Amino acid sequence: MKSQGTLSSLEELIEALRCLPGVGPKAAQRMAFYLLQRDRPGAERLAAALGRAIETIRRCASCNSFTEAHLCDLCASAKRDTTQLCVVETPADLVMMEQTLAYKGLYFVLMGRISPLDGIGPRDIGLEVLQKRALDGQVKEVIVATNFTNEGEATAHYIGEILKGRGIKLSRIARGVPVGGELEYVDAGTLAQALVERRPV
Amino acid sequence: MHTYPYKETSLLVDAFTKASGRITLVARSARRPRSAMRGTLMAFQPLSLSWVGRGEVKTLTKAEWLGGISLLRGEALLCAFYLNELLIRLLAREDAHEALFDRYADALRQFSVGEASAPILRRFEKALLKELGYALVLDREAFTGEQIDPARYYTYDPEKGALAARDSETEHAVIGRTLLSLARDEFDDIRTSHEARALMRSLINHRLEARQLNSRRVFRELLEL
Repeated sequence: MKSQGTLSSLEELIEALRCLPGVGPKAAQRMAFYLLQRDRPGAERLAAALGRAIETIRRCASCNSFTEAHLCDLCASAKRDTTQLCVVETPADLVMMEQTLAYKGLYFVLMGRISPLDGIGPRDIGLEVLQKRALDGQVKEVIVATNFTNEGEATAHYIGEILKGRGIKLSRIARGVPVGGELEYVDAGTLAQALVERRPV
Repeated sequence: MHTYPYKETSLLVDAFTKASGRITLVARSARRPRSAMRGTLMAFQPLSLSWVGRGEVKTLTKAEWLGGISLLRGEALLCAFYLNELLIRLLAREDAHEALFDRYADALRQFSVGEASAPILRRFEKALLKELGYALVLDREAFTGEQIDPARYYTYDPEKGALAARDSETEHAVIGRTLLSLARDEFDDIRTSHEARALMRSLINHRLEARQLNSRRVFRELLEL
């Protein structure tokens, strides 16, 4: 390898690939060689798609998720119930919520969660944007659907703190035994929490 | 105490154990959708862990949920993050701290049943300093060895201990009553519990040297919103 400060194009490509999650020096080298050796058209497509995506994709003005337009398709749709707002951590969570077909309202994607130990605070995720969005007068109910991890719970707590007493109904999705779950095979932690959060029948 | 994503599907687990202190484990495949460990490796939950390996990072072979502490929420959850950050920042790896482990387990149990957080935090901070080898001396003046007078003013030097202050105007001065009630774990009085909080914060900061605690910054941001 060269000893000077400048990187060759190959070295630069390997370095650039390392920005992907879970890709170390070895994996990056393998990907670079594969693209150059075996799949040059694929490499061109990848480069063009990346360039276009970076240029055109931005945040939806309403839900904070990715879109190419001012509003994403979901937020722009006239069929959605604009009085309900469901808060999720990531676009992947939004896709999952959509697959349930059980929700007809709008979404807000935080693009992260509060994690004190990783130094991620309320300013690093879209909490201030969410506060503005939830208090715009249209929203009557905010459904907090952050993960049931400690970080997701902390995020839910912050959302509660910034929205309570503002005349909005606040709710958290329920947790417990999965659909079709048999108690014998449910993990103990879930069952214990299902007992704590039991409801009258 | 905390998990970090590692490679494609694994987790690095920072765990606080009774017999081995703070250890780092790698949980192979724990991030796969159907992994049995997914959901079990949650901070603030008592677990029974088995591992193999001798190096600095061990391989987790089994994690069983012990239960007994309901999931934390709200303010208690934020306080518990603070405890974990203190442990991660201040404890060396693989030093057993059994007394501190018990104190930590008690603190989590008390948080989970909704006890007031300030006394829990002060007791834990005191136990932590003691385990690190800097136990507080709260009943005697360090220079003269005289008993602390509840009505006089003192400053607390992290290396020396309580020193008599000229008056209440001295920087960081606390009233003797604060030191005595901190020693007895009494936090009913608003003034002394306020002073005890500031005192413990400055002592912890001294041990952290220049490092900032993320959890404190995050709480501050919440209050500002």
